[in-house]
Amino acid sequence: MPKVIYVSASGAEQAVDALDGESVMATAVKNGVPGIIGECGGNASCATCHVWVRDEFLSLVGEPGEMEDDLLDLGVGDRRAGSRLSCQITCTPELDGLTVDVPPEQA
Amino acid sequence: MLRREINELLTQTGPGTPMGELFRQYWFPACLAEELPEDGAPPVRLKLLGERMVAFRDSYGRYGLIDEFCAHRGASLWFGRNEDGGLRCPYHGWKYDTTGQCTEVPSEADNSSFAENVKLTAYPLVKIGDILWTYMGDPAKQPPLPEYEFALVPPEQTYTSKRWQQSNWLQAFEGGIDSSHVTFLHSGGLKSDPLFKGAKGNQYNLNDTKPFFEVADSDGGLFVGARRNAEEGQYYWRITPWVMPNFTMVPPRGDHPIHGHFWVPIDDENCWAYSFDYHPVRALTPEERQAMIDGHGVHSKNIPGTYRPVANMDNDYLMNREKQKSGEWYSGVEGIAIQDSSLQESMGPIVDRTKERLVPADSGIIKARQKLRKAALALRDHGTTPPGVDPKHHHVRSAAVVLPQAEAFLDAAREDVTVRPGMPVSSV
Repeated sequence: MPKVIYVSASGAEQAVDALDGESVMATAVKNGVPGIIGECGGNASCATCHVWVRDEFLSLVGEPGEMEDDLLDLGVGDRRAGSRLSCQITCTPELDGLTVDVPPEQA
Repeated sequence: MLRREINELLTQTGPGTPMGELFRQYWFPACLAEELPEDGAPPVRLKLLGERMVAFRDSYGRYGLIDEFCAHRGASLWFGRNEDGGLRCPYHGWKYDTTGQCTEVPSEADNSSFAENVKLTAYPLVKIGDILWTYMGDPAKQPPLPEYEFALVPPEQTYTSKRWQQSNWLQAFEGGIDSSHVTFLHSGGLKSDPLFKGAKGNQYNLNDTKPFFEVADSDGGLFVGARRNAEEGQYYWRITPWVMPNFTMVPPRGDHPIHGHFWVPIDDENCWAYSFDYHPVRALTPEERQAMIDGHGVHSKNIPGTYRPVANMDNDYLMNREKQKSGEWYSGVEGIAIQDSSLQESMGPIVDRTKERLVPADSGIIKARQKLRKAALALRDHGTTPPGVDPKHHHVRSAAVVLPQAEAFLDAAREDVTVRPGMPVSSV
């Protein structure tokens, strides 16, 4: 089971066991991670599951899709290089230990 | 949700704003040709993109759109006398031609050159079809005239109306590319409106309330495809073109005339909704034209002598709870146009998009906002000419087609969404 580590604005870490194939957003919602909402249900249309992926995982996670890229521009307060919509990241064994920061305004 | 500063960017169109400058790259409707019906007709007051202007047609038939206010002491030229080749301020007799040039200041000596140095802001005003079009940008960058099919077909094949909407242009426009509301808000009209009813496609519309949306880029903007289930192995696609910044078309129904809109900012809290209907290969029938005049289809019944709808926010849009309950009018408001305007105005003059919750069915709206934002910033930062300025980008049509499930909608329907003069629209 891949592990995902969610880091809050205050630095608190929450490590969660994820199901292979499930999204980083769905994993957070199931486990009550604060600040990840997923209003639209994981369809890259609401931008309420924004996270900053830590640098060391960026190349593994890959580039955002087109619609995701638009939403990161339009709906996200502080877009950075690691900005992704967590509904568009699928948990896999290769991503074990994936660490993401949850933006403070979502908490 | 939309960030506050982007909401402001997209909704503010006054002089000097990024979106205001974007709008000033395009020809768009200033008023209807019927508002200046003959040479020397009374001038018309207009506010466009926050600028107050008067439109007039001089005694020689020349059209002009000039600053509303006399350069002398600021009186409104709406009171002007439309006299021999110009508009004369009735206060002290200063006179202007259609280019805004002052031609006479009666108090000055006969040999004075004072008037030569007085010129009001003026924009071109050109009649194409039923519309007087203007371009409010830099004269050096004035693009070729627009080539929208509805304005180019013979007069007997086209009809355009307009109505005042008490909301920002963007929330009005967003309704124009949002096909998913049709199944609900306009469900009554699909069954009964003389300009909609009877088409086979209506059944697909009513039977499948969960359309899937796909959005594809076009040269001038977007094609928004709404996919619903049809017969086995097939999808019913309703394809809505958007040409930047403010032209949208509604997918057709059967052999009914095809319709669409221009959404023109008056100021940040008001807009004009222009609604047109045309048929590319035949005259509108007398019954169709009468239905349009009567406010059916996408048109509205306006207070006589004005462009304000009879049903408006001051009378709660003549809400009828009995018809709401029976489902004859799903929202209780009569007519497609007012069903839309009532809800869009109810959001407030400029809806706070930081609080909205978008769903996948809103993907057209998301893509359109992003395209507007990028175009406005590219223009501001690099002077980039935006999509939709080139008249070739205007040669689009909406379509309503049944396609095999395996095919990508735009690949399969490329011809259907392109103007083919003399050919009917693709519509079921």
